[in-house]
Amino acid sequence: MERKSKGRQKIKMMKMESESNLQVTFSKRRSGLFKKASELCTLCGVEVAIIVFSPGKKVFSFGHPSVEPIIDRFLTRNPPQINSGTLQLIEAHRNASVRELNMQLTQVTNQLEAEKKRGEELKRMRQASQAQCWWEAPIEQLGLPQLEQLKLSLQGLKKNVAKQSDRLLFQASNPPPAQFYGAGSSINQSPNPLDTNNIPYYAKNMNNVGFTGNAMPRVYNLGYGRGFF
Amino acid sequence: MTRKKVNLAYIANDSARKAAFKKRKRGLLKKMSELSTLCGIQTCAIIYSPYDPEPEIWPSPLGAQSVIARFKSMPEAEQSRKMVNQESFLRQRITKAKNQLKKQQRESRELEMTQVMYRSLVRDQGLQNLGVVDLNDFRWLIEKTVEEIDERIKSLRQQIITPPQVVTAGTSSNHVNHTGQEIIGLRNEEMAASHDENPQWLMEMLRSNENDVGRNEAMLPYAFNNNSNSLWSTFNFP
Repeated sequence: MERKSKGRQKIKMMKMESESNLQVTFSKRRSGLFKKASELCTLCGVEVAIIVFSPGKKVFSFGHPSVEPIIDRFLTRNPPQINSGTLQLIEAHRNASVRELNMQLTQVTNQLEAEKKRGEELKRMRQASQAQCWWEAPIEQLGLPQLEQLKLSLQGLKKNVAKQSDRLLFQASNPPPAQFYGAGSSINQSPNPLDTNNIPYYAKNMNNVGFTGNAMPRVYNLGYGRGFF
Repeated sequence: MTRKKVNLAYIANDSARKAAFKKRKRGLLKKMSELSTLCGIQTCAIIYSPYDPEPEIWPSPLGAQSVIARFKSMPEAEQSRKMVNQESFLRQRITKAKNQLKKQQRESRELEMTQVMYRSLVRDQGLQNLGVVDLNDFRWLIEKTVEEIDERIKSLRQQIITPPQVVTAGTSSNHVNHTGQEIIGLRNEEMAASHDENPQWLMEMLRSNENDVGRNEAMLPYAFNNNSNSLWSTFNFP
């Protein structure tokens, strides 16, 4: 397995030499800094203002609840305002929406993680099956006769896919009274001499719900043209 | 370092919250310092907490005042352009995460579809379980793969034609001007001999399925449902 990057490296605590690295570092670290500040505010219920000047002379700022009042409070050394009823209400609203946003963020992040894991699993299975099935190997590794054979097989498959697609479209416009999805052909049931350990378990696990691997509902499965394009 | 997953919500337990505050505040200021040093830029932070009547100021009251002065000297538009609060910041992060999720889902789907494609060559994968959109994308993937194969075939043939000497371990020597059919026919023994990784069961399956043409079409592995094709007859199985 090739390494995609060097991984975490210990870094010298002084101004970076490479201009482009510096830009990238700034971008990433500024983002991380704001993330940490946001977490501090959420977890500990404190008020924070941060101002950061970029190498390109632009300015970034983060503030909770908001940058300006905190700066002013610091500059004028004013004690915090006494919260009137309205202000408290506003603050309550704000906190509620922040809470919701945090929940949403957590949810999406978890989904992302799960999806990444799924991707890893699929890649692993792919590698495993490549070792056993010559036609799954990368195209560069195949010889001419194999390529020709593979191409023919694929073209045959494509024909059947097109046929099935036409069938579905036809049936959609001419719905028969009875259910037309065959009851029988569950691949898990057909006794097959090929069902050896040459075919990884994946084949048996194919869900009957199209290209999902997983209990999570897939938006693109509802078929509103959300495919690859 | 704990590396426990933290729930992004206000810590109800007072002492836990205070401890978290101390730790995280320290970490935040360290990050501020690193950012400032590594990138050679000015930064400042102001933290008001219930634990201290005085705010925590980084790098120092004077330093912060200088940064704030520079900040205020900029036009309003520039000040607010990259200004965020919790809500806007979280919204940005959510959008970014959603986009990453979509991208990851697309990749996973293509991976999965590729697997199904290859599996389908050997046994029926139940096409009837797929909807029209999936079938369309599936067909697109097959077409794309065939294109790549064509590219490779083309470049291989180029290689065969261009070098003055054709070097082969096997029997056939002159491939120039042969069509695809003949190349396969000629190379057949070579292939059967040198590519032992084609498992025996595959060969037998190739043979046995040719006889099953009478059955329900959808049940047959697609590789062998090629009625138009005389090429298969050139494969002489031992």
